[in-house]
Amino acid sequence: MIVIDTASPVPPYEQLRAQLAAQIHDGTLPVGARLPTIRHLAANLGLAVNTVGRAYRELEEAGLIETRGRAGSFVSAAGEEGRERARRAAADYAAVVSSVGIDPHEALRIVEAALRHAAPAES
Amino acid sequence: MSSDALQPKDLALAGAWLSGHGLAEARPTPLLAVRLAVRRRARLANQVLLAALFIGAALIRVTFGFRPQHALPLLLLAAMVAALLLAQVLLDQWVRRVDRRAGAALPRRTAHLAQPGWRTLLGTPHAAFMIATSGGAIVLAASALTVQDATVRHSALVLLAGLLGVAAGIALQLRDLLVRPIVAEDETSLTADVIMRVEDARELTVPSVPWTLPVLLLFGFAPVWWDAAAIALVIAGVLVLALISKRTPSSVAVARQVLSVR
Repeated sequence: MIVIDTASPVPPYEQLRAQLAAQIHDGTLPVGARLPTIRHLAANLGLAVNTVGRAYRELEEAGLIETRGRAGSFVSAAGEEGRERARRAAADYAAVVSSVGIDPHEALRIVEAALRHAAPAES
Repeated sequence: MSSDALQPKDLALAGAWLSGHGLAEARPTPLLAVRLAVRRRARLANQVLLAALFIGAALIRVTFGFRPQHALPLLLLAAMVAALLLAQVLLDQWVRRVDRRAGAALPRRTAHLAQPGWRTLLGTPHAAFMIATSGGAIVLAASALTVQDATVRHSALVLLAGLLGVAAGIALQLRDLLVRPIVAEDETSLTADVIMRVEDARELTVPSVPWTLPVLLLFGFAPVWWDAAAIALVIAGVLVLALISKRTPSSVAVARQVLSVR
């Protein structure tokens, strides 16, 4: 389900992009799922076609969806690959933490600090 | 057709509708009340129009007799059928216009990403029933063209044109239902939107015109075998429709299935 609030300070395209990205990340929209056409989604949400087009374009640039010509837009496998890389990196990190004898709570704090440090660079 | 403003009783009726569809915990909103009210009024107007067609056809028969010598009665009947079809198109446009206005006024819009097709919204049994009844009525009308009596043949032509017009109108309305934008502000209204869409689609399959028009235009003029076939078509149709309505999943079940896809 997608909700667009016109009273929100967040622009509608960003609301749409963020919700679609969240659904792709949490698996609600699985790899290969077909997204509605830009025109159809724009009509359903009462948005301009350009607004939905911008959200789709940004998702495409982020590698979360791909457009296959006239067939439409689909959730790409790139997002799932990224998740798998993160899982592998986490397993490697857990192995290092265990081998050097770092306390698990401290290990989590290190990760949280690293994520906080990485977050501004992503946005 | 212009009085689409919300009336106090509309909210109460929307509450009753929600309860009747297993959504008793939801609060009836003005959006839902307006959308249901326009459908209720359009349905009532449609029934009044059909009744008017019945009464008009009966008056024409009483006035001109069962074997009219002039073309006037047939022309009057043809004009009434055309007026009924036009009025049905206008009623459908009215419902769509009210939906569009209600959607445009919402500060918050909700949509699901699934795009239910005709199989989901209408269902194969209803679609097959609609094709069978329309096809049966058209074959019945065409068979009347083989009768020697000129009055019967002229009436059959009017009937055929009316039935083809209705069939084309239903096809267009169904196509529109599939692509019509969602009008919802939250999860409840989203569920209600799908339920209304399913019920609108199923209502289109009730062949009120293919059942009534042959009887109105030809019953009494045509040979006995034709009259018997027309009545058999109606009785068989009513039985099959009752069976389909009993066996197919409710509109609420269809809506829940659509919304659970993603």
